[in-house]
Amino acid sequence: MKSNGLIVISKKEFRDHIKSKKFLIIFSIIMIATITGMVGGAVDYNKQIQNYAEQMAVSEDTSMFSSYWWTKPSVMTIFNNVGTIVASLGAILGIAMGFDLITREKESKSLKILLSHPIYRDEVINGKAIGGTFALILALIITFVISMALLLIFSIVPDITEVQYILLFGISAFLMIFSYFAISLFMSTVAENSGNALIYTLIIFIVLTGLFPMLISGSIITVLAGDAPEPPDTLIMRSYSTAYVSASVTVSDSGEISEKSESDPYDTEEWRNYEEESMKYWQKRQAISDFFNLLSPTNNFQYISSYLTYPQMYKNMYISNSIFVEDGADEPEKTSIFDVLGDLMKNIIALIAFPIVFFGLAYVKFMRMDVR
Amino acid sequence: MIEIKNLVKEYNGIRAVDNLCLNIDGGEIYGLLGPNGAGKSTTILMLTGLIMPTSGECLIDGTEVSKNPIEVKKKIGYMPEDVGFYSNLSAYENLEYFARLYGIPEKELQDRTDELLKQVGLYGVEKTVGGYSKGMRQRLGIAKAQLNDPSIIILDEPTANLDPQGVADYRSIIKQIAKLDKTVLVSSHILSEISKVSTKIGILQKGRLIREGTWEELSSDIENKDLPEIRINVETKVPMPQFNHPEIISADYKNDDKTAAIVAKSDIRDEISGILYKNNVILKNLSLDATTLEDAILTYYSEEVPEL
Repeated sequence: MKSNGLIVISKKEFRDHIKSKKFLIIFSIIMIATITGMVGGAVDYNKQIQNYAEQMAVSEDTSMFSSYWWTKPSVMTIFNNVGTIVASLGAILGIAMGFDLITREKESKSLKILLSHPIYRDEVINGKAIGGTFALILALIITFVISMALLLIFSIVPDITEVQYILLFGISAFLMIFSYFAISLFMSTVAENSGNALIYTLIIFIVLTGLFPMLISGSIITVLAGDAPEPPDTLIMRSYSTAYVSASVTVSDSGEISEKSESDPYDTEEWRNYEEESMKYWQKRQAISDFFNLLSPTNNFQYISSYLTYPQMYKNMYISNSIFVEDGADEPEKTSIFDVLGDLMKNIIALIAFPIVFFGLAYVKFMRMDVR
Repeated sequence: MIEIKNLVKEYNGIRAVDNLCLNIDGGEIYGLLGPNGAGKSTTILMLTGLIMPTSGECLIDGTEVSKNPIEVKKKIGYMPEDVGFYSNLSAYENLEYFARLYGIPEKELQDRTDELLKQVGLYGVEKTVGGYSKGMRQRLGIAKAQLNDPSIIILDEPTANLDPQGVADYRSIIKQIAKLDKTVLVSSHILSEISKVSTKIGILQKGRLIREGTWEELSSDIENKDLPEIRINVETKVPMPQFNHPEIISADYKNDDKTAAIVAKSDIRDEISGILYKNNVILKNLSLDATTLEDAILTYYSEEVPEL
């Protein structure tokens, strides 16, 4: 049986969103913050480019170019400035758009009259989701166009790889905001009224943005992973000629290989065991950290945003202990979008999974909702 | 037109509708009368396909509601008891939205909407529905119920919380609808509303149909029966005239004839209101005492009709 309910409801929801005061206010704040962030970022970027050009000139004269930090600044540094704003205000926009979508219908008693029309019940919830999605897409397109215009005003022309990064940044921002929209939509189907729906959504938001980072960075992760293995006693007494970078990673030895002797304390069974245990420990710690990161749309988005700003650094460094080592003296090539997608796949999948799961829950709940 | 067969609806093991059987012919204005909790709204929700019955079936024009709710919803117009609209939209915008849900072609949409808004006296009202009174919302609800030009109109407690003017407006609209030869099902717990508009009345008690017939038939059942007296309280801003009506048993006037406690054989509030209007007396309050005619009749029938 053909029904045009989905299109009609989607159109109305889209219109309602873009006309609603809360949407316009939050979107305006995002726009102002984005423009401010972009302008500041563009000014900084131009300074970095100038410094880079100067360093390049010096390195050509002295053949000193060997530092990772002297690579050409990425346009994404500008967007990274905006990323924090998008992460917080975007989440609020998503929540504001979704928390009362169903409860408002219940409160105004319009749900019963709506469902008395020749439409399928799933067209109502799908229409609301589609209307919200298009409103979000419109908001992001406007933001994207303005951002690109600002770049051009500052004479910054991103290359094709950077444009791809910017698009991935935008898609991630959309998925992050849409995740919170889906969470609030679900809460709207569960809660009795809009007030409760907002409170439930804010609790989830606080858990995902406040509690999870605390778990990752705080002592709780140590509680979950346990204490790091202690190095062998013989090493503690030794004065170091080498640099320990990370227990889980590599050691950069400043001495010649040939200088190693049988009495080298790093070439003992005890030391190798310690290295292996350390590696396992930091991998476990990293796995726990990654897990919590994946559970938070905000953290996922911020990770993607940071990665896109410094993809070479993320590729080269060993993140587990937050210490990196240099990996080659040449200026690295730009990481291709496919490599980036490969590295960020689990974060992107998590960002896609979040709205799917919560929208699925909202769908099931709405389909079973009593309309008495 | 409407056929209900052995309809049962249970909520958590409690029967809201209990083996209900009902037939409503085309062109009939059927009044479903019963106290709150009798199962009127539950029956209507099943008829409109908004909830599924536990057992039994509802047929609208031969189509079973639970098997083909979309087809049935195209044939009916429904106004729920607590009718709700989108408060940020005007009456026209609300109807326009619902008309699109019915699939009414765009070129017909405006004419249809304007016509219905004129019928219920809301044409040209620009303000959003958020600023509407209860009566205006009810009128808009009646307009909405006719939007798809349905052959069956179902109105659940259409006069609930309406002021006397709103009730009068509602009756006028129902009379207009009746002329269009549509089948109308009206539920109410107010006998006077049901009796004045319905061609046939069904009395629902505890989810069961305990009596059905025309108002004349139901009235003849209770003629000469020892019904409880009806007590009507009247309060006016200026002294009221002495009422002279055959149904009045006694009248006690107090407070310089500005209040009166009337004991009557039946609910004569409309007549009292008419007398006061003719005498230019401004009414402050006109209400039934605790024992109402509806209660009296329902009590009578529930006692008279054996348990099913």
